[in-house]
Amino acid sequence: MCCNSAVIIPRLDPCFSFLPTRPDIIPFPASVSFRIRTVFPLGPSKSIPNDTDQFSGSDPATLYDLLGIPETGTLLEIKQAYKQLARKYHPDVSPHDRVEEYTKMFIRVQEAYETLSDPRRRDLYDRDLAKGIHLAFSARRLFESDEQMEDKSEWKSRWQSQLSHLKKRSMYKDSGDNMSWGAKMRKQRNESS
Amino acid sequence: MAEQAYTVASDSETMGEEKSSSTVPEIAIGIDIGTSQCSVAVWSGSQVELLRNTRNQKLMKSYVTFKDEVPAGGVSNQLAHEYEMLSGAAIFNMKRLIGRVDTDPIVHASKSLPFLVQTLDIGVRPFIAALVNNMWRSTTPEEVLAIFLVELRVMAEMQLKRPIRNVVLTIPVTFSRFQLTRIERACAMAGLHVLRLMPEPTAVALLYAQQQQQNVHENMGSGSEKIALIFNMGAGFCDTAITATAGGVSQIRSLAGSTLGGEDLLQNTMHHLLPDMDNYFSRHGIDEIRKMGLLRVATQDAIHKLSTQPSVEIDIDLGNGRKIYKVLNRMEFEEVNQHVFEKCASLINQCLSDAKLEVDDVNDVILVGGCSNIPMIRNMVMGICKKDVYSGMNPLEAAVRGAALEGAVASGVNDPFGSLDLLTIQTTPLSIGIRADGNNFVPIIPKNTTMPARKDVVFTTVHDNQVEALIIIYEGDEKAVEKNQLLGYFKIMGIPPAPKGVPEINVCMDIDASNSLRVLAGVIMPGEQNPSAPFMEVRMPTVDDGHGWCAEALNRTYGSTLDLVTVQKKVQR
Repeated sequence: MCCNSAVIIPRLDPCFSFLPTRPDIIPFPASVSFRIRTVFPLGPSKSIPNDTDQFSGSDPATLYDLLGIPETGTLLEIKQAYKQLARKYHPDVSPHDRVEEYTKMFIRVQEAYETLSDPRRRDLYDRDLAKGIHLAFSARRLFESDEQMEDKSEWKSRWQSQLSHLKKRSMYKDSGDNMSWGAKMRKQRNESS
Repeated sequence: MAEQAYTVASDSETMGEEKSSSTVPEIAIGIDIGTSQCSVAVWSGSQVELLRNTRNQKLMKSYVTFKDEVPAGGVSNQLAHEYEMLSGAAIFNMKRLIGRVDTDPIVHASKSLPFLVQTLDIGVRPFIAALVNNMWRSTTPEEVLAIFLVELRVMAEMQLKRPIRNVVLTIPVTFSRFQLTRIERACAMAGLHVLRLMPEPTAVALLYAQQQQQNVHENMGSGSEKIALIFNMGAGFCDTAITATAGGVSQIRSLAGSTLGGEDLLQNTMHHLLPDMDNYFSRHGIDEIRKMGLLRVATQDAIHKLSTQPSVEIDIDLGNGRKIYKVLNRMEFEEVNQHVFEKCASLINQCLSDAKLEVDDVNDVILVGGCSNIPMIRNMVMGICKKDVYSGMNPLEAAVRGAALEGAVASGVNDPFGSLDLLTIQTTPLSIGIRADGNNFVPIIPKNTTMPARKDVVFTTVHDNQVEALIIIYEGDEKAVEKNQLLGYFKIMGIPPAPKGVPEINVCMDIDASNSLRVLAGVIMPGEQNPSAPFMEVRMPTVDDGHGWCAEALNRTYGSTLDLVTVQKKVQR
């Protein structure tokens, strides 16, 4: 896959995207939330109408459409499509006057690639797709939040056990003032058994 | 102080824009500033060429001597003897010192160098000085680097017969963004504009991508994806990367690095030969400096010889009846430096596991850098990877050649034969995140994230009616937040009074093509579409010297009153 479809236009000013005087590469979306994303059109041929009309502006195509591959595409096809699109949209090679726009596209392509090249994430995404959920970025987020949920529940149980332990200790402290050390130990043994 | 760092960068930026009138793209040159040696390369129109100084050297020693009125660097200056570099008048190893504070162990290890590195151990920049006419004349690593870069620029301008402004610099993987600002400042002082900063192994990866691409053209090869592991160990740093290459695109899969290099091997061996070395030389008098130089040169020599012979005789006369005589064999050298080699091995394994790859997945193992000739390093790398080392590149020139390729690609140069149909897709070497959930580090852009990148995480308040929140940004991979590098901090104000856990505080980070990091943060109340107050946009890093203090001071002043916790993401459909 050495074919290069990228249009490379020599740039006039190589320091186009350096530090502070540069305009924002990505304006912050007005409404910020993980599920409401600013979505960029892929060009008329790729855009398909979306049933979730809560999205203003253009619709999010599927990640497969984004990479321009069929839903049955193999890992090799995904990788090839990704590298080809990277050669088009990466800011090192994109046309000088469209760096901002292309950088956004690059980040989307990257996310699509990361989702589809990971069998587990792809599976989750495919299931969402089958349910008719066309949120381009939901699969990955869903996956991440699942992981966090596990973390959290584990953390919570550990925390609760610590808490109950602490409660026990403070109970001893309150009631143990008048008790001898041996009495305290006996009481503790009885309680824990 | 924080503002000043910015002004330098902005100033240089304005200068860059004034110059944009020419129609031919100015090809950025590639510079590899090594801890010990330095080189410059440029795309000549058909290939990469290394530039030579007036003494016909492609590799120049990285040092600046303050012996005479005008400081002179290793590009122009001719050393009468190696001892001259060790007389205390010359500053070297600046790459190991730049952007570090005086509590850093690397700075402490540098105190046994002939020039003066003074630490007060309070978390500020160390005092560095060169011996000029029997006086310690102070300087900074940035200044030394800038003087050196000016010499390189003049050399390149003379040979290329055009003004040089844009450069692609190679950097160690472990450099924090704070250190990168120091490098950028040194470049600005030298009148250079940093077009791209490339971790050294990623520059090697780009050269590899070009070589693979040429092989495909010549042999009509399959052009399928190839995985290469790059191990780069120089005098100051040891870095590894894994790249997946196909069609001229080098996609970095993982990066790992450490501040370990030939300098550590040298110092360990010197300590082995003279166990009370630190005490012996601590006074830093002229006599001590001379003896330190004797020991350093003799040890360096011995290590070089041990690469080709099993043992070496060391005979040093330190005067006053103090003599060192020893036959050092290779095994002893390897034992003395065992922990260095172990750390190197762990970097390779970490890189593989971060890339989710097995040793068998690796097609080529590339070994580069000044330490690549050390038998133990070769054996270790080949042992782990179960493969011979890739022989297609010069280990001392690979990084600078890759930097020159990226200089041409990022300058928009097109090659009719397709030699520049290349792309390097870089990743973040360190995680970037904020302090939250108590004193924890919560990454927002995790390590090994492809750049450019944009990620966001939602946080919420920990107190009822909390109207402000402190965003403290760190870079690193330690769970305890204070072990990471502080990049900056700011406050979100105007959070509408609400029970804890209700306001959604969105922290978004993005990194653009030139690796500039921006943090955007603001609050949105549930059910609302628009932010409650204007979002904050802050470019990082904002901290300067004394950053360790800043975090402590913030903690002292605010405690947990302005804290944040992560929000369990709710999936709404």
